[in-house]
Amino acid sequence: MVRMTEMTVGVGSGADEFADMVLNIGPQHPSTHGVLRLKLTLDGERITACEPVIGYMHRGAEKLFEVRDYRQILMLANRHDWLSAFCSELGVALAVERLMGIEVPERAVWLRTALAELNRVLNHLMFLGSYPLEIGAITPMFYAFREREALQAVFEEASGGRIHYMFNRIGGLKEEVPSGWTGRAREAIDQVRRRMPDLDDLIRRNEIFMARTRGIGVLSPETAAAYGVSGPVARASGMDFDLRRDDPYLAYGELDVPVVTRTAGDCHARFECMLDQVYVSLDLAQRCLEKVDTLSGPVNVRLPKVVKAPEGHTYAWTENPLGVNGYYLVSRGEKTPWRLKLRTASYANVQALSTLLVGCLVPDMVSILGSMFFVVGDIDK
Amino acid sequence: MNIPGSGLAKGLAVTLKTMTRPVTTRQYPDEAPALPPRSRGVIALLEANCTVCMLCARECPDWCIYIDSHKETVETPGAARARQRNVLDRFDIDFSLCMYCGICVEVCPFDALYWSPEFEYAETDIRDLLHEKDRLGEWMPTVPAPPAHDPRGELSKEETTAEKKG
Repeated sequence: MVRMTEMTVGVGSGADEFADMVLNIGPQHPSTHGVLRLKLTLDGERITACEPVIGYMHRGAEKLFEVRDYRQILMLANRHDWLSAFCSELGVALAVERLMGIEVPERAVWLRTALAELNRVLNHLMFLGSYPLEIGAITPMFYAFREREALQAVFEEASGGRIHYMFNRIGGLKEEVPSGWTGRAREAIDQVRRRMPDLDDLIRRNEIFMARTRGIGVLSPETAAAYGVSGPVARASGMDFDLRRDDPYLAYGELDVPVVTRTAGDCHARFECMLDQVYVSLDLAQRCLEKVDTLSGPVNVRLPKVVKAPEGHTYAWTENPLGVNGYYLVSRGEKTPWRLKLRTASYANVQALSTLLVGCLVPDMVSILGSMFFVVGDIDK
Repeated sequence: MNIPGSGLAKGLAVTLKTMTRPVTTRQYPDEAPALPPRSRGVIALLEANCTVCMLCARECPDWCIYIDSHKETVETPGAARARQRNVLDRFDIDFSLCMYCGICVEVCPFDALYWSPEFEYAETDIRDLLHEKDRLGEWMPTVPAPPAHDPRGELSKEETTAEKKG
């Protein structure tokens, strides 16, 4: 146990002789991708305590949900985690649909599943590019973005947006996809799958990358579970938990979802989990699109002019690209929710940093921070 | 295990392979990007279709649409009594606030608002991002025809209306 002493000293009193050094990482530090601040207490190069200070990007999303109708909420929901906009919209839509007892047309369900998987690929590609960048490898970023571009074109053709899709609606999707879109989407998936080995070869077994990530920042499954860590970060520590398989929503129940896990729990395992998940998601999206091509019918339901969820409450959770997102919706029968609690993956995942970083060296801090795969907007909401 | 330097060699092989392929980068200002018709670039206003129902301004999540209007009496020869009609005085969209969600375009019951893929309207002063109705009207010629829907899905709104009329 580290002996803790707290003291208040005036400036210039020579406190550095007997106090620990406190180093602030952030709120504006390139490796925090946004405005996360870490208060590190150092003993030389070694971190003895870490306190993540969050909230610099708090936009009050949950409070805003209470004064926006359900269509407007979708627009807010796709912004807290800007890398998984489609999946976040989806969670809100699922919660409202459950409370209202709306059955979504089958074609919409499969299209949603396909798009959710493509969004997961987009999210993972971003991290697969930016994580090596943070620890000094610039090139993977270009390959990751080349693939992202191909998939973003697919999303833009259907929804009109490249990042904030706004394509979900209560009861289905905004509109039917353009003619020939499924074919073009499948071509894009094939192209990404064909070119993924470029990124894979560049970085997965690179000696320098391995030296920076192997055995660094080992997160034990117990710690992961205690902090409620989920998603690829938890699966890299051997937590075999994936809502797509364990509590299927959308069409996942009819799909065989392979869950990518590792047991090492270090930075490299987390990176590998993400990399392998990309291949899995591409396959899943492909299968969904094949199914979409066999279904016909509408992609949304006719809604009343004013959408009101009946009085009651429900909890929906989804496997977002970064982990488990939960939506606790309480309605008093009005056109806005009385409360919509958002449980975001990044928020839980960064909590683990306070124990994960203790005992690590400062240079390893960047490797660990980057490998926790979080979006600051998703933490601060 | 690994031969020392094999990771580096593998990486360089990728670089070498990419070197022989055509470039992916598009030289943007010289080469215009091909944007799909649904692309949400800017909102165009077809003033003649607007009835000042205020639905767009009310449904906008961040209230960035400003509408002013007045009533005018129209005397139609032969009609029993004069009719009142709304005249649009001001229709502004503040693109510095707009979140590009498209709710206004979706709720407009008279098809007065359209998405255009045009995006080159950046300004050096944030106040210039407030587009007035004339400026919004200027975007109208850039609005593309909507894409045909997947034949397995339902027909588009436009096609259904055309069928009813036809």
